[in-house]
Amino acid sequence: MGNHLTLAVAGSRKTQGIVDHCATLPRERRALVVTYTQTNQDELRRRLAVYAGDHQGLEVLGWYTFLIHHFAKPFLPFKFPGKRVQGFNFDGRPMRMAKGYSRFLDSNGAVYACELGRLAHELVLESRGTLVHRLECLYEEILIDEAQDLSSHDWEIIDVLLGSSIDIRMVGDIRQSVLATNPRSAKNKRYAYAEVIGWFREREAQGLLEIMQSATTWRCHPDIASFSDTIFDASWLFPVTDSKNDTVTSHDGVFLVYKRDVEEYVVKYKPQCLRHSASSGKEFNLTFLNFKLSKGSTHERVLIVPTRGILQFLQTGAHLEPGPAASFYVAITRAKQSVAIIVDDPGNSSLPYWQP
Amino acid sequence: MITKIKVHGYRIYKKFTLSPNSKLNLIVGGNEAGKSTLMEAVALALTGRVNGRSASEELNPYWFNTSVVAEFVHKRRSGEREALPEIYIEIFFENRTELQSLCGAINSDVPTNACPGVSLRVLPNPEFADELEEWLKDPLPLLPVEYYMVEWRSFADEKITHRPRQLVTAIIDSRTVRSSSGLDYHLRQILSDHLDPAERASISLAYREVKASMSETALADVNKRIGELHASLHDQTIALEMDQSTRTSWEGSVTPHVNDVPFSMSGQGQQAAIKISLAMSRHSGKANFVMIEEPENHLSHTSLTTLLSRIEALASEQQQLFVTTHSAFVLNRLGLDALLLIGPDSARKISELDPDTVSYFQRLPGYDTLRMALANKIVLVEGPSDEIIFERIFKDIYGKRPMEFGIDILSMRGLALRRCLELCAALDKPVAVLRDNDGIDPTELKMPVAEWLVDGRRELFIGSVASGSTLEPQLVYHNSEARIRDILKITTAADLATWMNREKTETALRIASSDQKITPPEYIRKAAEFIYG
Repeated sequence: MGNHLTLAVAGSRKTQGIVDHCATLPRERRALVVTYTQTNQDELRRRLAVYAGDHQGLEVLGWYTFLIHHFAKPFLPFKFPGKRVQGFNFDGRPMRMAKGYSRFLDSNGAVYACELGRLAHELVLESRGTLVHRLECLYEEILIDEAQDLSSHDWEIIDVLLGSSIDIRMVGDIRQSVLATNPRSAKNKRYAYAEVIGWFREREAQGLLEIMQSATTWRCHPDIASFSDTIFDASWLFPVTDSKNDTVTSHDGVFLVYKRDVEEYVVKYKPQCLRHSASSGKEFNLTFLNFKLSKGSTHERVLIVPTRGILQFLQTGAHLEPGPAASFYVAITRAKQSVAIIVDDPGNSSLPYWQP
Repeated sequence: MITKIKVHGYRIYKKFTLSPNSKLNLIVGGNEAGKSTLMEAVALALTGRVNGRSASEELNPYWFNTSVVAEFVHKRRSGEREALPEIYIEIFFENRTELQSLCGAINSDVPTNACPGVSLRVLPNPEFADELEEWLKDPLPLLPVEYYMVEWRSFADEKITHRPRQLVTAIIDSRTVRSSSGLDYHLRQILSDHLDPAERASISLAYREVKASMSETALADVNKRIGELHASLHDQTIALEMDQSTRTSWEGSVTPHVNDVPFSMSGQGQQAAIKISLAMSRHSGKANFVMIEEPENHLSHTSLTTLLSRIEALASEQQQLFVTTHSAFVLNRLGLDALLLIGPDSARKISELDPDTVSYFQRLPGYDTLRMALANKIVLVEGPSDEIIFERIFKDIYGKRPMEFGIDILSMRGLALRRCLELCAALDKPVAVLRDNDGIDPTELKMPVAEWLVDGRRELFIGSVASGSTLEPQLVYHNSEARIRDILKITTAADLATWMNREKTETALRIASSDQKITPPEYIRKAAEFIYG
C-alpha cells in the first residue's frame, strides 16, 4: 500500500475520494480518518455512514482530538511524571517565555491547542517507541483530509507517521491553506502555505511518499475555475484547473456588481454572501459567512465583499500575499455557477459587470 | 495477561503489589489475609463492578483501609494538612497488540511505564469541595463517601464506562447472588460471553417470534372476549399481548438446565462446575480472566477431583486463572508451583520448584502442603509419635505449645524428606527436621538433602547412633529404663524395647500426658531451641 498524497483543486471531490476509498477497504481493516475542521468531520461521518456504514472499524477524529487521545493523554507522564491532561485550551496561549509544563498546559492542566503539536512530537521521542507502537497496533491506515492545513510541529508528526508501518493517505489543496495551526510558532515557518509542497516533494524524493495531482473540479463552472487559476502567480507551478461542471444556467461565470445593484442582485440570485471577517461588509445588510468558515462548503452562487488586497488584484492584477490569496481562492471556489464581487471602480479588470 | 496488580488503600491492603503467574495462580493465605479482597479488587478494576453492581453504587466507607484512614484522621486532628485518603487499583497487562487501545503511561509506576492497563480510583469529588472542606473541620474515621467519586480509566487516560471487550472476565464465587430471574449476574455474564453475537441474535429473534405467536394462538380467543369489554378511558380496545420490551428479553427466561433441572435448582457443586466449564471454554482470541473462589466449597471429594481435572483440561494459553483455596488437595492437584502466598503488602511466589517435585505432590494430593505454606516456622518429623513427643518437650522448655509461637509440626508420614525440604526452601520457611538415624551416621544422612539446608534457617537434627537408632531407644537412653517403664506402666514381665516398638503411638501419648519429668533426647532439645529462635 505505502503512503500517498493527492494534491487536489477545490471541488475535486477530495472528501468524497476519501469516502470512496474507505468504502473499498476490507471490513476488518482498522482505518482512521483525520480531518481539520469540525464541519468537515461531521460531513465525513455523515457520508461514511451512507457509503461505508457497515465498516465498524472506521473512525473519524479531528486533528486535535487525534493528538490528545493518542499522544498527549496516554503519554504525558513521559515528559511530566505524575501529570495528566485535564482538558483542552483552544484559545489560550502560554506566556511567551514559558518553559516546561507551563509551556504546554495551563494552570488547570488543559493543554494549549497551539502547543499540542509540539507536545505530541516530543512525547513520540520520549516514549521510547511505545507511542508509535500503540498507533501501529490500533490502525493499519490513517487518512488525512485537508493536509494543507497542518502546520509547524504537525509536520514532524506526519514525518513520524510516514516512517511507521501505518499506511498514510493524505489529500490536500495547497491553495486552500488558510488555517494555520499555530499562529505564533516559529518552527517550520518555511513550510507555511504553498511551501508545503516543497516539503512533500522532499519526502517523495526520499521514497516515503507518492504524490498524485488531481486538477479536475466537479464543482466550479469553467469560467470560475479559470479565474481561480489567475489568483496565484505562475511561479507556484500549479496545474491548470479542468472543470467538469457542464451545467448551464442563465447566470454563469465571474461578475462584478455595483454597490447600488447589490440588493437587487441578492433578491434575484440568492447568493451566499462571503466576507473576510466580521469587520468587513458592514455597509450591507446581508447574512454573511466569513471566508475561513466557508471552507468545505458548496454553494450555487456566491457574492463577495472584496478586501483592499482583492480590489487591488482586480484593478491592477497585483498578486495577493499567499495567505490572503488562499482565502480569496477558498471564497471563489465555493460557487458552482456564479461568483459576483462588489466593486464600484473596476480599474483594469476585464470582468463583466452584472446588469440588472 | 495480567502482569501486575497494584491495590492501594482498599480494605485490608494499604499498599499491595503482585505479579501473577501467566497461566495459573493459586492464592492461599490464612483467614483475613485478603484472598477474597484481592479477587474483589481485580474484578472491580476489570469489570467496574462488585457483586454485579457498579462500583459507585456499592461504594461505602469500609472500602477504605482502616489504618490509612486512622492515620489521616490523626494527622488532621493534630493540625497537619494531610490529603483525603484515596483508593486505587491498577491492573497492568502484557504488551499485546489487541490491548493497545488501553496502553498508556497513566499509572502509578515510577519510572514512567507505558503498557496496556486499567485503573479504578476512588477519590474526592471536586464538585463537593465545599462540603468536604466543612467535613474536614472535624474528620471521623468513617469517610463521607457521598462526596467521593469512582473513576474507571484505561492507562491511556480514557474513561471506561463498559467493560472493554478485549477483557473477558468470569467470576465464579460461592456466594451465589441470586437475581429475580434465577441466574446470578456472574453466570449471565459468562453465558453471554460464551455465545457469539450471531448466536445471541438468533436466540433473541426466535424468542420474539415465539412470543408473537402466542398472540395468534392462546391469546386470540381471550382477546376476542376482552375486546367486547369497554374498560379503557376512551373506548380503545384492550388486548393481552406478550411483552416485547427489552425488559423481558430472552436472557431472563433462557437458563441452563442440567438433566432437565433448571440451573438455579441444581446443587451448588453442580452450579460451580457448570460455571467453570462455561467460563473456561470460551472463544479464544481474547484475554480471558477466570477467577474461582474456593472451588472446594460445596463439593464432595469425588466431585472436587472431577472439577479439578476439568479445570486442568480447559486451561489454555489464552486464559489466566486465579483460584483461591483453603484446600491442600486443590493446591497439590493444580500444581504447587503456581502458589501465591498472600501477605499484607505483597504476595510471595514460590521460587523455582523442580517440576518433579510438583508432580510428586500432584500424585500425592492428600498431603498438607497448605499448612507448610501458611506456617511461620516448620518442624518436619517422621511420624505421629515424633510429633507428640516434640510437642511435649517443647512445652516443657517454653511453657506453651509450639503452635502458639506459629510453629507447625508436620509429620511426613513416609513422604520423601528431600521433596518436603525443597518445598520449604521454595517457600523460604525456617525448618527444623527431626529424624531417626536408623543406625547410620548422621553426617551421611545429611548428604542427600545438603543442597536444601542452610545453617540457622533449615537444619537437620539427628540423634547420635550411640544413643539409639530411633526415637524410642533415644528416650530410654536419656531417661533410664526404670523411669520409662514407670511412665508407661510396663512391668518387667514385658520387654520394654519390643513393647515400645510395637506401640509407638501409645508410647508417645503416655509419655506426653505423664506428670513426670522427661529428659529430652539431645537432638530434640536442640531442634526445639533452634526453631524457637
